[in-house]
Amino acid sequence: MYLPPFSYVVPQSLDEAITLLQDHLPEGKVLAGGQSLIPLMGLGLARPTALIDLNGVRDLAGVSEVNGSLDIGALTRHRALETSPLVRARCPLLAEAASLIGNIRVRHRGTIGGSLAHADPAAELPMVAAALDAVIEIRGPNGAREVPAERFFLGLLLTDLAPGEIVTSVKVPVLKPSSGYGLAELVRRAGDFAIVSACAVIERNPAGECARASLVLGGVGPHPRRIRPAEALLEGRPLTEDTLRRAADAVPSEVTPESDIHASADYRRAMSRVMAQRALAAAAARADHPGGGGFHGN
Amino acid sequence: MVIERRPLRFSLNGRPVDALAAPHETLLATLRDSLGATEVKYGCGEGVCGTCTVLLDGAPVNACLILGLQAQGRAVTTVKGLSGEAGPHPLQRAFVAREAAQCGFCTPGMLLVAYAFLREHPNPTREEIRAALAGNLCRCTGYTRIVDAVEACAAGGGDPPV
Amino acid sequence: MTEAHDAGSTPSLRIIGQALPRFDVAEKVAGSTLYAADWQLPGMLAGRILRSIYASARIRRLDVSRARGLPGVSAVLTARDIPCNAIRVDPTGLGGTPFETPILAAERVRYQGEPIALVAAESDPQARAALEAIEVDYEPVPAVLDAETALREDAPRVHEGHDNLLVHWKLRHGRVEEAFRTADVIVERTYRTQWADHAYLEPEAGVAWTDAHGVVNIRSATQVLEHFREVAEVLGLPQNRVRIIAPFLGGGFGGKEDMTVEPHVALLAWKTGRPVRMLWSRYESLLARPKRHPFTMRYKTGAARDGRLVAQEITLLADAGPYPLLSPRVVFAALVVGAGPYRVPNVKVDAKAVFTNNVPTSAMRGFGAMQVTFAYESQMELLAERLGVPPLELRARNFLRKGDRLPTGEEIGTAVALPTVSQRAISALGARTAPSSRSARVGQGFACNIQPYGRTVWFRDRASAWIGFEADGSLVVRTGVPDLGGGQAASLAQIAAEILGVGLDRVAVHFGDSALTPPAGGTFATRQLYMSGNAVWKAATELRALMAPVAASVLEAAAADVQFADDHVSVVGTPDRRIPLARVVAECGRRDVPTALLSAFRGEEAAPVDLETGQGRTFPDYTFGCHAAEVEVDTETGVTKLLKHAACHDVGRAINPQSVEGQIQGGAVMGIGQALMEEIVVEGGNNLTTLFASYLIPTALDVPDIRPIVVESGEGKGPFKARGIGEPPTGPPPAAIAAAIFDAVGVRLQELPMTPERVFKAMEALRRGAAGDT
Repeated sequence: MYLPPFSYVVPQSLDEAITLLQDHLPEGKVLAGGQSLIPLMGLGLARPTALIDLNGVRDLAGVSEVNGSLDIGALTRHRALETSPLVRARCPLLAEAASLIGNIRVRHRGTIGGSLAHADPAAELPMVAAALDAVIEIRGPNGAREVPAERFFLGLLLTDLAPGEIVTSVKVPVLKPSSGYGLAELVRRAGDFAIVSACAVIERNPAGECARASLVLGGVGPHPRRIRPAEALLEGRPLTEDTLRRAADAVPSEVTPESDIHASADYRRAMSRVMAQRALAAAAARADHPGGGGFHGN
Repeated sequence: MVIERRPLRFSLNGRPVDALAAPHETLLATLRDSLGATEVKYGCGEGVCGTCTVLLDGAPVNACLILGLQAQGRAVTTVKGLSGEAGPHPLQRAFVAREAAQCGFCTPGMLLVAYAFLREHPNPTREEIRAALAGNLCRCTGYTRIVDAVEACAAGGGDPPV
Repeated sequence: MTEAHDAGSTPSLRIIGQALPRFDVAEKVAGSTLYAADWQLPGMLAGRILRSIYASARIRRLDVSRARGLPGVSAVLTARDIPCNAIRVDPTGLGGTPFETPILAAERVRYQGEPIALVAAESDPQARAALEAIEVDYEPVPAVLDAETALREDAPRVHEGHDNLLVHWKLRHGRVEEAFRTADVIVERTYRTQWADHAYLEPEAGVAWTDAHGVVNIRSATQVLEHFREVAEVLGLPQNRVRIIAPFLGGGFGGKEDMTVEPHVALLAWKTGRPVRMLWSRYESLLARPKRHPFTMRYKTGAARDGRLVAQEITLLADAGPYPLLSPRVVFAALVVGAGPYRVPNVKVDAKAVFTNNVPTSAMRGFGAMQVTFAYESQMELLAERLGVPPLELRARNFLRKGDRLPTGEEIGTAVALPTVSQRAISALGARTAPSSRSARVGQGFACNIQPYGRTVWFRDRASAWIGFEADGSLVVRTGVPDLGGGQAASLAQIAAEILGVGLDRVAVHFGDSALTPPAGGTFATRQLYMSGNAVWKAATELRALMAPVAASVLEAAAADVQFADDHVSVVGTPDRRIPLARVVAECGRRDVPTALLSAFRGEEAAPVDLETGQGRTFPDYTFGCHAAEVEVDTETGVTKLLKHAACHDVGRAINPQSVEGQIQGGAVMGIGQALMEEIVVEGGNNLTTLFASYLIPTALDVPDIRPIVVESGEGKGPFKARGIGEPPTGPPPAAIAAAIFDAVGVRLQELPMTPERVFKAMEALRRGAAGDT
């Protein structure tokens, strides 16, 4: 109920936040949703000397559509993504992924910026960001820059963020009408971190073949893993059960899962194929039915 | 270490409250230890169990994962905010009528999440109720009666039929 | 010996058997119940424990001087500050070598998380800072890391001078070797169950203070008020100087049966002279609170061709952690019912509990009888398959009946409703659900169980209750029963209300205060309804017998012709001849007839069992039940979803049917959790599951509606012929689900929990076997 003590500041603007973060390096951290950071602090596993609370910063939350992309502020809560009519319509994969995170209380506070910056290898949003070729916008003392999602996640809980930098927004391409998505998770219980998860986006060409595919696996390595060999087996081919199966079969040799108390590496490897299969099948089915793939969660 | 405490003002169950809170106090600590709102419980400190559920501007959140100072100027509702002049909320009456509480420790959090859910989904199926409550752990009841009570309340009766 | 009596001589029951709202639920729902951690006193300090990081080590140096000097710190205590740093127990209760369990580790730590020092400070952050300032130099010492190797000659000793074998119970009935030679089928398997945690939503907590009379008061979440005696011994105080109050608990399930915070807060309060509150974190609770014993169970079961069991040979091995706690009793319960609810003429059981440096183990709902259910029912399923007999038919040919003898040689004196409960549970499942996908398979299964209630009869169990009328005819019940949330207090109110004719809303129950309520023994072993229920029944009946003649004389009727009901005493058959209870009370006062009394109920007593053969009287009685489950198994992943679950038990008589059903539903879900997902993982003495994120208990989405089915045979040893129901429902789910999994996908799991990975691997092995792979 009480955390280790820290200096606490509540900036009103992004510039102020960056300055304050700079002042409190190296042990200062930003506080967004707090749903990952505060438990760690409660256990004494994280002891930031300062918390820069981003919840008061103007204009860091919100979703808008700009030039074929959803521009999502870093402080946008998972619950907002889950329920936003705009996100459900234009990128239902994101809404569905957000709906799978934790429980409703966590989703009312947790943020997309926080989830991406925390980079848990089993988390939904990093995997989906990679599958959608999202671009992560960052600001720091040296100005603004952007990083494609696939290059943002570097290792276990490790991202491209340099000390003093803050994720400010995420640009997510909207799902094309000719695209379908699939999301498959192997979880012990609803809301748990996935043992293995897979996210697929398939774009269909007018001939009914796969124009483009992206397939990302989560929980099978230190960061979300894009499976290009599987994508290559799909691109230009008809979306038959056979093609999908062969693509899924290419997955196990591409992943490097570890064993932990929840599952062994062997099982994760075997399940990576099954989850990939299911995600691909769902994506292909949705790609076949344009407009029928919206997300209508709770 | 110097424990620096700051003025904190927010609305608790509809009434303004003042406290002095150190930054490292979670809202759970502020509510329980400074404001005597012991109906909000500590169960895990991880945001998993749900016994610390409060409504923050109407949204269910983990009080153990929010700083007390983050409630500045906001509206916080605990289970005590569910009953009013008319007496217990229909959800609470439904819980009593169906014995949806045994040890009662999960009950305040469960009621708040159910309340927030029914506000947005007045006609849920049992599966939807289960999904809505899946984030609140109970170790005594096995959940069936809790689902019964929420369903009964949604159907417009806090009390069982006579 | 007192037997429970039937209310058969009275007209139909008005309150017993009614699903009346429990008085405590309304206040719980309002959020106004004050649990142990909700108690605040002026000047209260925060207490914390420094816990060992090693499973097995010597403490070479312990320096608390820096911690004592930190701001806000009132006290830092180590073993040398404790007047009597050991609880001496007789582990088996049969006069064996007493064993000492320390409150704080002195030179040696024996499990990860063992308490080493105590801190009290003005605030919790200051207490935590003090913990971090305590300097400990550990020297790791070879540890005993599993129960099997603990028994080897060359294994390190957990306790110097003591064997690692804590207890070896034996049961010998008939001649198993000869019997196996005559058996037509023998099945032999080894089963394993896991460490499990109670995972009550309320972590361990309590507040202690010394009052103006010098009495150390402890208000804590405890199942046993009688611990005040041990605390007194620790503090070096007379027993009447320590008081324990048990508020409503946020769940107990056996996890709050041994002492939790009591000695710690008492010591800190006593030393500082100020109130001290301690609230364990969930991490501490999962790390160090005693768990359910993991059992390794080797079963050899022999049957004749017609399905009659001829022999069971069983070895049970339980990891008892480093201290005895209640391990011997848990393993004894497993010994007694290890052969299952069946007639088996030849039984040999060897049940051992061994010391290790793993997490401590003690009581948890089901208490040994829970674990063996998985084994004996899995054996029956296997036998049925080998014999080509339908599983229910095989059970029916072997079910115990009233008048049969258990393997301990004792006769079952109450109804055994197994045919009824099994038929009702199975038929409640209905038709098989259609699979939800191509890769899914649906299966159904069931399992029966036998669970003791009440403590073993050589413990000379007692419970007392005080009942008294107020002048206005309302009633007060005082009893030392801690209420864990299972409706313990409410059912006592119902019993008193029934017998004395008081409206249920005019009965107040004051419970759980060792200074003010008569001792009732702890709430565990499913004993409270049997013991305190009978104590209240007895007190109420005795009081009624004293007051009835007075009422009768006012009514000018014979004492045998009056009835107590609806807050009045009336003449049977002429309802308008009646007087209010208040009038009876006043009249009793005038005639010097008591309107209050204290009564004690003595449980059944007998000599202890023979230690070589396990023959003799053991438990007062048993509850029989059957659960049936339907599962859907995803053949590609092993994920097993529970679709339906029916749970049927014979409860003798349901005092409050709604509460009985609630206990059945909650107990079933606890068993389901252990079947499918709960596991405390201990590797190398390190507990790896110390968060709710890693110790998984069922959520509302993990279980379907649990269908409780209450059977009332009208026979039981509790008041109104009730039988205990707290523990029995935890037993059958793992075996029922295992049987359903077999029905779905043809694999038999022998280890709990039956995680997706284990199911998947079993299916893979089956596929490889079928494909001819070695």
